Amino acid sequence: MRKTKSKYRVLETLSPILGVLASVLVLLVIAMIIGEMPGKTLNAIYKFTLASASRLSTIFSVAIPLFLAGLAVAVAFQANVFNIGVEGQYFVGGLVGAMAGIYLRLPVYLHLPVVVLASMAGGALWAAIPALLKVRMGIHEVITTIMFNNIAAALVNFLVNGPLSGRGEKSLEPQTLKIQSTALFGKLNHWFNAIGLKVPKHVYLDYSLIVAIVMGFLVWFLLYRLRQGFEIRAVGTSLEVSQYAGIRVKRVQMTAFLASGSLAGLIGLQEIFAIRGVYTFEIAAGLGFDGIAIALIGGNSPVGVIFSSVLFAFFKQAGYGLQLYTAVPNAIIYVISGLMILFIVVINEVTTRYIRALRRKEAA
Amino acid sequence: MTLLKMDGITKVFPGVRANDQVTFDLAPGEIHALVGENGAGKTTLMKILYGLYRPDSGTIRLRDQAVAIKNPRDAIARGIGMVHQHFMLVPPFSVLENIILGKESQTAGVLRLEEPAREITEIMNRNGLPVDLTARVEDLPVGLQQRVEILKVLYRGAEVLVFDEPTAVLTPQEVVELFKTFRMMRDQGKGLIFISHKLDEVLDIADRITVIRRGQVVKTLLRAEASKPLIAELMVGKPVFLHVDKPPAAPGAVILEVRGLRQRSPRGHLVLEDLSLEVRAGEIYGLAGVEGNGQSELVRAITEAVRLESGDVLLEEQSILAWDVRTRRDRGIGHIPEDRHRYGLLLPFSLAENLVLGRHHRSPFVRGSVVDFARMRAYARESIEKYDIRTPSELTPAHALSGGNQQKLIVAREMRFDPILLVASQPTRGVDVGATEFIYQQLVEARSRGKAVLLVSADLDEVLSLSDRIGVIFKGRIIREFRQEEATKEQVGLCMTGEKRSA
Ligand SMILES: Nc1ncnc2c1ncn2[C@@H]1O[C@H](COP(=O)(O)OP(=O)(O)OP(=O)(O)O)[C@@H](O)[C@H]1O
Ligand SMILES: [Mg+2]
Repeated sequence: MRKTKSKYRVLETLSPILGVLASVLVLLVIAMIIGEMPGKTLNAIYKFTLASASRLSTIFSVAIPLFLAGLAVAVAFQANVFNIGVEGQYFVGGLVGAMAGIYLRLPVYLHLPVVVLASMAGGALWAAIPALLKVRMGIHEVITTIMFNNIAAALVNFLVNGPLSGRGEKSLEPQTLKIQSTALFGKLNHWFNAIGLKVPKHVYLDYSLIVAIVMGFLVWFLLYRLRQGFEIRAVGTSLEVSQYAGIRVKRVQMTAFLASGSLAGLIGLQEIFAIRGVYTFEIAAGLGFDGIAIALIGGNSPVGVIFSSVLFAFFKQAGYGLQLYTAVPNAIIYVISGLMILFIVVINEVTTRYIRALRRKEAA
Repeated sequence: MTLLKMDGITKVFPGVRANDQVTFDLAPGEIHALVGENGAGKTTLMKILYGLYRPDSGTIRLRDQAVAIKNPRDAIARGIGMVHQHFMLVPPFSVLENIILGKESQTAGVLRLEEPAREITEIMNRNGLPVDLTARVEDLPVGLQQRVEILKVLYRGAEVLVFDEPTAVLTPQEVVELFKTFRMMRDQGKGLIFISHKLDEVLDIADRITVIRRGQVVKTLLRAEASKPLIAELMVGKPVFLHVDKPPAAPGAVILEVRGLRQRSPRGHLVLEDLSLEVRAGEIYGLAGVEGNGQSELVRAITEAVRLESGDVLLEEQSILAWDVRTRRDRGIGHIPEDRHRYGLLLPFSLAENLVLGRHHRSPFVRGSVVDFARMRAYARESIEKYDIRTPSELTPAHALSGGNQQKLIVAREMRFDPILLVASQPTRGVDVGATEFIYQQLVEARSRGKAVLLVSADLDEVLSLSDRIGVIFKGRIIREFRQEEATKEQVGLCMTGEKRSA
């Protein structure tokens, strides 16, 4: 009995892997149509992802902000809130965090947590307006958050070029003043090296990894251990039943929305506090939207999002390899992530049926 | 000749054998009733016949020919139709559109409506199923929506018709109409399978009765051999008494007071018109009435915050109009909802979670904000035991329970919260005889402990046998109140049609 149960487990975990393999297969076919032999395509992917300790650890480095983005979207999805505004919340959160890093004078042990909290507060603030509009006036969040993404981009652009611009800093692109050294994120590479995992110097496995791990745990704890998380999942399952049970649906959706915004505020930590040391308008765009795909592939659960963000990072890196070594355009990774969502859903369904058939055989 | 023969059907779900070597047959021109306790496997057997589930083993023969039914499409193509308990209709579509949906015919891309309309009218006349084809389905009462479902099935040429608890949602008058239709269909040589927990109905309409217990056929009886106690005994495996032991009422202080409620529907007509009533501690107040006379609106005004034109609702002399659902629940209002699928259960959540829903934010199920799953599970095991909910475990998701067991879960939840006022809408809908008796006992016991119960039920017998006082609701008002001793079925029934004078 025990044994057969674990057999099903294996099958269940295998199914997303099959989905990934299927997407890779499609990728190879597309590459062939473009005129690249599968061998060459695979080699390009391999070189950029698994070929060296440097490449391999880079995947995990890239996965950190993706994980936070996926987590942000997932929390909202769990309460049936479609926070498409993670992108804008991340811009604003990053800027507020950077301000705390530039203008506050604090000792390291305070400054670091303060910039993290400031980033969260900034993200939450930017989520608060669409959240209020939804809860108070019933305006759908998809519309408002998309608008707020554009407003955020314009606002940040204006602030970084104008009032907050760090004139005198030698740079071509508009940026703020430098973040103080007490707020900069150091690297953890030596920790990994100490336990025998080779992480070269130039790879960023920095404090934001700790933030990501802590947040992952907190979200898991919220969703599956706290009363508020139970209510979030209840609301996501059925509004009518939740209302009947006395759950204060609006409050719950507000909570989930704000939690999502706070997490979104953290997406920029790595780039701002570890890599650049300033806030610029050039910080990576699109991570908020990647978060949507990552949350979907990860089934909106924190554990799922760990896997899907690493997977997404893998394909992102693979995309650079393809760009460099083959005629396949980088944008292919968006095709692939779309396909992955599709395949994982389909293959999951197929394995569930297969497991059911196995059970039936066993019973007979 | 047999129309249908199911032979050796077995179906296993994780942890339960829902059907175990079931053999069942149906002759043309026969009404064959299928009865058994909640969770016995009736719905499962019918879903297999309709292609919604695949059996693990067993064969299905139609007119002596083995068939494989892989999905409902196959079933329909072979002349099998199912009238679902949860209607599968498109609410904003007209009756005609709903009936032809999926079987539309067209000329040069234009939907043909006249021919089907003529054909459907003919089916209506032949089977005693009049409905206005142009009405929108969402405007129709449940009984008429069910007619639309039946017409849909007949229009597709069904010869075998499955009815899974069709009477659970009907008023007694509608049941009479439905049975007329049943007889007409039988006389045309169709075969009908009828599932019900109401044994009087079964004895009234069935030609043969098959009893199943825990997935196995116990016996198939001819109508002439069957009696109520016999069927009940075969179902449960021991004699059942079907009676309520009710000590005399000792009403105390007024718990619920409803004062002059007036409310309009979104379309502007009055749904509650100056409605007043009182329920006291230690009293069961039964609300009798034809569906759609304001019962749902009254229940909503007590259990959730709604907009009223005037009037007040008081719990222990305190107005509750401004309270939200959470506050009402915390202050001691329990509610068994009429539509369990829509409101009662988080279907993907476990039984344990569903059993604390509504109380999940309070001790002992949380400590601080942290959910105490161990407590929750222990509490769930007690509830399962006490209310005899048939389930493999407390971690089973609610959607895997049979209909009646889902209802038992809700009743267990609301009763075990021990509210001072329990609003019970159709508390025994879909529940078997044994469990009905148990729920009655629990209601009476709550009353003995000084609780107030507002009972809303379409089942007049239920209202009459449980209530200490009976209020008849008609067009949004209580037009007359009876004490239990003075109420007879005829009088109350007559009063429900708006006839006040009867004394
Ligand atoms: N989809 C499902 N997954 C798992 N178990 C199921 C599923 N459907 C039914 N069961 C189980 O199979 C058994 C039979 O259920 P079924 O719905 O056939 O009962 P029923 O006789 O129709 O009962 P009721 O009178 O309450 O409607 C029950 O124990 C139920 O828990
Ligand atoms: Mg059933």
